[in-house]
This record gives sequence, C-alpha cells and structure tokens, in this order.
Amino acid sequence: MTTTPAIDIDRLNVTYGGFHAVKDLSFQVEQGELYALLGTNGAGKTSTLEVVEGHRTASSGTVRVLGKNPADRRAVRPRMGIMLQESGFSPDLTVAESARLIGRLSGRTDSVDRVLRVVDLTDKADTRVAQLSGGEKRRLDFATAVYGRPELIFLDEPTTGLDIQSRDALWNAVEQLRQDGSTIVLTTHYLEEAQQRADRIGLMHRGTFRHEGTVAELTRTLPAAIQFSLPAGAPAPLVQAGPAADGSYVIETFDLQTDLKQLLDWAHAHDVELSGLSAAPTRLDDVFRAIESDPVSA
Amino acid sequence: MFSIARSELLQILRNRAVLISSLIMPLAASAFFVYQRDVFTLIGSVGYVGAVIVFTIAAFSLYATTVTTLAARRQNLFLKRMRSTAAGDAAILTGLVLPVSVISLVQVGVILAVFTRLSGAPTNVPLLVVAVAATFVMMLALAVATAGVTNSPEHAQVTTLPLSLGVIAVTSWVGITGTEQLGTLKRILPGGAATELIVHAWDGGVPLSDSLLLLAPTTAWVVVAIALASRMFRWEPRR
Repeated sequence: MTTTPAIDIDRLNVTYGGFHAVKDLSFQVEQGELYALLGTNGAGKTSTLEVVEGHRTASSGTVRVLGKNPADRRAVRPRMGIMLQESGFSPDLTVAESARLIGRLSGRTDSVDRVLRVVDLTDKADTRVAQLSGGEKRRLDFATAVYGRPELIFLDEPTTGLDIQSRDALWNAVEQLRQDGSTIVLTTHYLEEAQQRADRIGLMHRGTFRHEGTVAELTRTLPAAIQFSLPAGAPAPLVQAGPAADGSYVIETFDLQTDLKQLLDWAHAHDVELSGLSAAPTRLDDVFRAIESDPVSA
Repeated sequence: MFSIARSELLQILRNRAVLISSLIMPLAASAFFVYQRDVFTLIGSVGYVGAVIVFTIAAFSLYATTVTTLAARRQNLFLKRMRSTAAGDAAILTGLVLPVSVISLVQVGVILAVFTRLSGAPTNVPLLVVAVAATFVMMLALAVATAGVTNSPEHAQVTTLPLSLGVIAVTSWVGITGTEQLGTLKRILPGGAATELIVHAWDGGVPLSDSLLLLAPTTAWVVVAIALASRMFRWEPRR
C-alpha cells in the first residue's frame, strides 16, 4: 500500500518571456522524506520550486501538493512552511514582531518564544530586523518557516551565511521535524549537506532532470578517489598516474577497498608515510562538474 | 488582515520620512488653508476651501503615502513574504492600506471639524460624507495602480507627482471657476465631479437632483481606478 506522495509533479512545463525554463518535468516527493532539488544555475529549479510553492502557475502539466493545487493557498499553506531564498522581512519590525506576524498568517498555532528558542534568537527578540546580521536574518527565516511544525517544509538555501554552530542547530531542528513526520524539500549550493542529509536527490540541468535517485545511485557512476602525498626521497608507488604539480597523488578507482588495501600494504612494506591520506567515494561536486562539462543529450 | 494592518501601522510610525510626508505635511498644508480661509473663500467659496482640504489630504496623506509604502514593501520582498503564507491577496492588500486610510480619514475629519467651527457648518452633511468617501476610494485605488509602476519608494516621488498635483489643479480649477464653462470637461477629469459635489454639499443652493447626477462621473472614476489597480499592481519586483 502506498501513501499519497507529498508532492506529485507530472510533466511540468514553465515558460515565461519566451524562455522555456522547465521542460516536461515529472517527479514525486514521498511523505516524510528529505528531497534535495539541486541544479546548475539557470537549470529551472527556482521556477519549479515557485510552482510547487504556489507562487507561479505552470504553463502546462499537473502539480499536486499534499493532494491539492498549490495555488489554493487557503487549503495548502496552513500545512506548509516556506523558507524563501531571500528573507522578506521589514527592517522596521523587531524579531519578535516579525515572527508573530508570519506565525499568525501561517494558519498554525505555536509560540513565538518557542521558535525563537529553536534558532537561538531569544535575546534578540526586541531587536529591529535592520540591525540583524545576515546569518541572524536567515535564522529568523527558518524560525518563521517552522512555526507550528508544518508537515511540509521548503528550505531554499537555508544555511547560507550561517556559522557552523547555527548550521548544526538548524539541522538538529530539521531532524526533530523529520522525526515528527514532516517532509522536507531542500535546495542548496552546499552539496555536502545534500549528500549527507537527503534521502533522494533530483539534479536539474537546463530544465529537466539529469539524474534522480539516492546519493549512492548518483555517485555510483563516477569513481572514488584516493589522495595522498609522499615525503621527498620516497620510492615511487606502483600507480598509473604520476604525481600532480604539488606532489600529491590521486588514484581513481571503482574498487576503493581493494585499491586502498594495496596502497596501504605497499606503504607498510616500504615503510613510507602517506601524508594527507584521504579515501572517499565520489562527492556530489564531481557529479555536478561532470554534468556541466558533458553536453546534454536530446 | 488585522495582524498585517497592525504591523503596517508599526512600520509607518517608526519611519520618520513617511510620518513627515504623510502626517505632518498635509496637516500643515490644510492648517494653512484654514488659516487663510477668508482669501480662499473670496477666490472660490467656503465649499472650495473644504474641497481643497479634502483633496490635499487625499492626494498626499492617502495617495502618495500608499504608493510609497507599497513600493517599499515590494522592494524589500515583504509582499512576497506575506504571499508565502496562508493569507489571501485581498486580505494582504486590505491590511496594508488600512492604517493609512484610517489616518487620512481621521485627519480629514478633524480638519473639516475645525473648519466648520470657524466658517459654519456645511449645508448637506450626508452628501459631503458621500463625496469625501468616493474621493478617498478613488485615490486609494489609483494609489494601488500607481504602486504597480513604482519600483521603489524613491521612485514614488516621481510617479506620484502627476496625479497628486493634477488632482489639486483640477480641484482648484473647478472650485474657482465653477462649472458653467467647460463643465463637461471639468467633470470628466479625475476629482472634477467630486470637487463640484463637495462644493455643492457645503455651499448649498443647488437642487439635490443636480448634485446626485454628479455621483455618476464620480462613481465612474472609482470603478476605473479599481480596474486600473487590479491590472497594474505587481507583487514582486521585476526580475
């Protein structure tokens, strides 16, 4: 038995000003999952998000959010929290006033105190938004998006400008919401975040999906990499590639464990210290770079 | 809607520039007209002074302020933030224009009350109220329309000039020269019929049926203004 997907998109097309931003896009976001919608600049993910959030109408195709038309604000928004890419706060209102206003308009009940505590802005409650730093504004944004614990949350580049503690706090809060069953749609340029936290990823390029699937599925197509450097005077290792200009070696392998063992055995046998040793599966960054350099097939 | 209105009121009270241009300046101008009422009465009539007061408040406290604040709310993406909640467009817009409208109405009420004390009561108070209400609704709708083509609060200083000065000019023209000559033209211009209505309501001496006829162009302008507003208003900055 399958439950209704939280978001169901079928052959979505978005055109504006003669520009075909989204071409026949179809995908679903299941309830309770964290879905990362990623893409190169101009890939159409902002337009897609805007349609799903209800800010823009589709040129064609069907979009169902929580079973309803996203443009039906009254029906959908009380169950949905949105963290926009750019905070739209009034500079003359205080933190608490802004949170109270957006909270009231969200259609859900909660306390301003609680959401400010989640983002650690309680001692700034009476500060005007104009005097907040960029990171603090972002945290306020997050607080208003999760007001009332909505069942569907959109996070558009949530950690931009946040220091490491704030980022951790934000992801802790997201984790809490996920445990309560909320569905999260994330867009971010910090690909490590998507790689670490997303259940599934949709990678857009030029209006359509280039890849969609779990992180493992996406990174399987590219080799893993082993990196290390050798001290001066060390014997040359038995590897295909020679050292790079800065003396470091990169071994690309589809069998990370075997090749790593081989390298470690060699280093042990020759009593060589491998400095800066790192062995990791492909990062999403590399998947991205592969897309950008690879011409799109029709 | 009322949460939005309350936040809007807070933002207006905390913004010194808006306070001066919207609260103080029009009040000062109106006070000047009341102070010089004898001169103005000679040029036009007592009703003319009333009309000038109404249109000064309508053009500056209501129209120019609304255009400026709506443009500012759009520019800093506050409008977009409002629209990403469960609130509907109508509730948002109403909440945003409510404080300025109430402030302007209170201003006009107070000034006209003071003026009445000094120069005598208007002949037909209900008709005056209708005329003032129609004027205010028209100017409010025109403000929403003008906000659609205004990119920023600074830009508003330019975009509000044509209508605010134009309406004052029309009021003066009609109030001073009356409507025997070029009557049709004067009544078609925005604020023209409303001015005549205010003058009649205040001075009296004109049959009620004639005055009621003036409601037609006045109402027509209200309808046109609302139509323009719904077509021209933008919620997001142009990308």
